[in-house]
Amino acid sequence: MKLQHNLGGLEGLDPINTETQVFVEPWEQRIFGIHTAMMALSNHLGDSLPDYAIEEVPTEFKSFWTWGHLRMGAEGMHPFDYFRLRYYEKWLGGISGFFISEGYITEEELNARTAELLENSEKAAAPLPSGGAAEIDAQVLKYLQEGDSPLRELPAPPKFSVGDRVRVKNVSPGDHSRLPGHLKGHLAEVVLVYEGAFTYFFPTEDGIGVPMPVYSLAFKNEEIWPESLTEPNSLYFNDIFEVYLEAV
Amino acid sequence: MPSNYPGFKYGTDREAVSAAKVKALESLLIEKGIITGDTVNNILGYFETEMGPFNGAKLVARAWADPDFKARLLADCNAACEELDFPQGMSGAEGEHMRIVENTPEVHNIIVCTLCSCYPWPTLGLPPYWFKDPTFRARVVREPRKVLSEFGVELDDSVEVRVWDSSAQIRWWVLPMRPEGTDGMSEAELAALLTPEAMMGVATVEV
Repeated sequence: MKLQHNLGGLEGLDPINTETQVFVEPWEQRIFGIHTAMMALSNHLGDSLPDYAIEEVPTEFKSFWTWGHLRMGAEGMHPFDYFRLRYYEKWLGGISGFFISEGYITEEELNARTAELLENSEKAAAPLPSGGAAEIDAQVLKYLQEGDSPLRELPAPPKFSVGDRVRVKNVSPGDHSRLPGHLKGHLAEVVLVYEGAFTYFFPTEDGIGVPMPVYSLAFKNEEIWPESLTEPNSLYFNDIFEVYLEAV
Repeated sequence: MPSNYPGFKYGTDREAVSAAKVKALESLLIEKGIITGDTVNNILGYFETEMGPFNGAKLVARAWADPDFKARLLADCNAACEELDFPQGMSGAEGEHMRIVENTPEVHNIIVCTLCSCYPWPTLGLPPYWFKDPTFRARVVREPRKVLSEFGVELDDSVEVRVWDSSAQIRWWVLPMRPEGTDGMSEAELAALLTPEAMMGVATVEV
């Protein structure tokens, strides 16, 4: 079990921090932009539904990078580190590590340049390098505008129908999963069968990544948590891939 | 935001180190031809001027003004977006499959992503800090009324609360209730009343 994957219903937490800013430190904007650029330049986009000529884009980035890869890093963390670090701190660690592990940069050059910027306020205040191929930014814009839809043809009729009771399987999350851990083993009602089938960026150990139906499920909170810990008159809806479900 | 948990220790240079590291990384990526000197700024600009909560606000205002449009928006959010004069990209990144649920006197909806931070970028832009914070994600699914009250929203027990968790490929958002006293307002005036929080279900719309 991964703690960072089993958040729903934890007790003993603080009041909500209602900070409405997207970025709480200016540097966070930069790592958001880098991650989004990586998704927009990912080598898998050649197989995506929009017409991306990704192999012709003159970027040196030749890797596969998606939300799934970012999440895999977060899911692989020591759980207490996951909660110690702020959202974009996890991104910065994961993305830096990816560029190092893929050989684009070395840990030594990243550390040396970081140290240089920390020690030299003139360099820290200097503008970033300029220039680069305009086609890179054209592809980034095209990705933002056209996305990467996971909708595909249904390979087989959905196993479940609206009104069916289903149980969420108790599968191991492996390296990456789209199943919230707090739902495992619990019963729900199918309230909607989404049209078509949905794939995922890559096959996961727990079975998503090939086109399959997705269901909107309604869970009763008292089905998941002890009734004394739940509130009256509330319903919890969750979109769940078919492979995570079994008939009751 | 700092944790209250005393086991988590942070250096006083916490933000300075991250700022230097991200600048070091971005400059290396530009020098090595992975991104350009404009890439990150272009992306940030896209979410300031093209895709943001101002788009969602226009859709909600139109839905309040035109019941037929509201029905189409609720039935097919992406198709309804085509009816308004938006920049290209309403079905782009993180908006490929959007759905909106309507708040009524009987039902109040809230969105969450307990796994991380899935969010409809074209209609709402980028998610606020609180939405990404593990405390919100952990608490709202089990005790949504308590969470709402911490946001200043008190619901009668007769109102059904529905929490929508984005664990697969649909990006959810909320059509809030139109406030009293707005009968004579134009769509632009109505849109100006909306906040991201209202379109996520943790605030009501105030005049």
